[in-house]
Amino acid sequence: MRKPVTFTRNRKEGRTAFLFVLPLVTVIVLFIVIPVLGTFWTGLFRDVTYLPTKFAYFSNYRRLLTDSDFWRSFRFTMLFVATAIPLEMALGMVFALILNERLRMRNALRATVLIPWAVPTIVAARTWELIYNYGYGLANYLIALLGLSDAPVNWLGSPVGAFFALILADVWKTTPFVAIILLAGLQTIPEEIYEQARVDGTNFLQRFFKITLPMLKPVIAVALIFRSIDTIRILDLIYVVTDGGPGGSTTSLSLYGYKYFNEGDFGYGSAIAVVVFVIAFLLSVSYLKVGGFGRAME
Amino acid sequence: MRHSYRLVCIAMAIALSLTLSCSKEEGRVTLMIGGAPAELDYWETLLEDFTENTGIEVGLMRQPTDTDQRRQSLIIPLEAGEGDPDVFLMDIVWIGQFAASGWLEGLEPMMAVDNFETSPFFSRVIDLADTYEGRLIALPVYVDAGLLYYRADLLIEYGFTSPPATWADLVKISVQIQAAQRMTNPDFWGFVWQGAQYEGLVCTFLEFSTAGGGGLVDDSGALTLDRPENIAALNFMRDLIATFGISRPNTYTEMKEEEVRSTFQSGNALFGRNWPYAWGLHQEDGSAVKGLVGISLLPAFSGGEHAATLGGWHIGISRSSDNKEAAWQLVKYIVSRDVQLGFALNLGWNPARQDIYNAPEIVEHVPHLVQLRDIFDSAVARPNVPYYSLLSRELQQRVNAALAGTATPAEALKTAQREGIDIVDRYRQ
Repeated sequence: MRKPVTFTRNRKEGRTAFLFVLPLVTVIVLFIVIPVLGTFWTGLFRDVTYLPTKFAYFSNYRRLLTDSDFWRSFRFTMLFVATAIPLEMALGMVFALILNERLRMRNALRATVLIPWAVPTIVAARTWELIYNYGYGLANYLIALLGLSDAPVNWLGSPVGAFFALILADVWKTTPFVAIILLAGLQTIPEEIYEQARVDGTNFLQRFFKITLPMLKPVIAVALIFRSIDTIRILDLIYVVTDGGPGGSTTSLSLYGYKYFNEGDFGYGSAIAVVVFVIAFLLSVSYLKVGGFGRAME
Repeated sequence: MRHSYRLVCIAMAIALSLTLSCSKEEGRVTLMIGGAPAELDYWETLLEDFTENTGIEVGLMRQPTDTDQRRQSLIIPLEAGEGDPDVFLMDIVWIGQFAASGWLEGLEPMMAVDNFETSPFFSRVIDLADTYEGRLIALPVYVDAGLLYYRADLLIEYGFTSPPATWADLVKISVQIQAAQRMTNPDFWGFVWQGAQYEGLVCTFLEFSTAGGGGLVDDSGALTLDRPENIAALNFMRDLIATFGISRPNTYTEMKEEEVRSTFQSGNALFGRNWPYAWGLHQEDGSAVKGLVGISLLPAFSGGEHAATLGGWHIGISRSSDNKEAAWQLVKYIVSRDVQLGFALNLGWNPARQDIYNAPEIVEHVPHLVQLRDIFDSAVARPNVPYYSLLSRELQQRVNAALAGTATPAEALKTAQREGIDIVDRYRQ
């Protein structure tokens, strides 16, 4: 049982402590609390540029309940998160384990793996759009080269095709981030524990599931939180590659909300943004609880 | 605590000085425009000329090229009631929203003072686009309309004397010539057009549906997206890709103006639907189709009419402008005959003034313009309502779904109509 930290009841020290946290609190209030509350507030209004603004209680939220396009983008976004995140975590773990081994040129390899993450999303998205291009894309070039199909494939032409094309681009882009976070976690696990376990005659899988995974739990939670929040808000990749097509089937929640902002309905757009925020928030809290991240910090 | 007070004071002082430096002296206006770099360079020379003649300084606020981003960068200062920009360009379909939002200054009082007449402009454009609830709130800078581009050399080679007048003819000719051309060029297509999920799809859909006697709204202005003529038109659009095979399978995923233009310009298409801007580029040195292109009205369905969607950009004055008099001088200058003639000759923009189409410079340098004049005079407009962009997005995704084959044309348009009515009910004043 650790002794709880207590502040000495000294006015001067108290003021110093206050000054230390002041910048952080200011930044959080200015750039997080106020905008979030402001968005929630706007969402309570009928705030359309060409209509008289009026307080509308929860009518924007009520409208969400029966808006089939909203639910379609909700389903799409959740399915996207549920598909992309496990792939990113699994692949990221594999990369991290490989990069943690004593390989030749390990540093060069680590730097190489990071490249996709370092590329701005818009640039990466544009590149993927060109890869999937029907007429001159790399994907169809390879298909023709390998003789897999007589005619080019219209990769983004069906809802399923477009979905997996986006998943591939997203996994490519963000797996390195997961790999690097997990790698940092791996390096904090003392080598002696593994040596001890080897002496006890354990195999690789046993060591992975009994030592590595439990000790990585807080780091996995961090990676999950960052990736989930990012993926729930996904906009840029989709905006460039499909812009919601075909037939609106790949409209993410953020893209759906963005369109309303652009069309002058700030109230409804805000309500959608609040929903995205709440989902991301709840998901983060649940990871913290389930992942035992909070306990690990004690 | 004294420290933070000082910080607050400094911050306020900075904010105040920023505000002061933004407020401007007499005789200065801000113009917000976007576009290709060459276009913006041309604007700069124009504005220098304007300043020399009037003594009014013009600040140019540059916007991105992308139409959606241009609108976004306007909505924010206008909604906030900022003094800048004073003058800006609008896509034809934004005017309803901008006017209903109260962002546009009525032009009639200033016109009356100057005895400014709208008679030189296409009256159809003034009525359909620039007049909102009886008030003139914008003036046209240039006009656009959908055209049929065709390969005159190939039509002659295969014994056709004129471009097709009906869609059935276009299909017949395309099937024949495409099959023959594919012997030597496997990537040759009969007809390329804009089918991706974006504003351009509404333009092509409006053309197909009007050509078959349909339309987006009836005479009273009520939404009629799912009328039988429209369903037939959408069926035909789908057939161009799926049944006749004369349009590329990526029509509904990738084909926008530039994709259509580059396919046609590289010699890989017999017919193409595009805006007038493509003409100049097709005729450039290095174009595979230089001197081989003809333009005509888009075909009609048998018993229907030829239809072209009206496009173009318009100029307006912000109601929050702090220098409306100077702003009006700038607007008057931009829509003047000389400037419009310059746009036509230098940027290939189609003048909104009818009195330019017979100018000797036009006849000599851009003779195809003469042919376009009648098309502009009969083009169909998209509904000029404030919630147009919501309707458009709804229609885009339903029509696109039908082209992708994930909904039948009838289902797609029935859904679009149902959702469209919902939008009208919700956003009507």
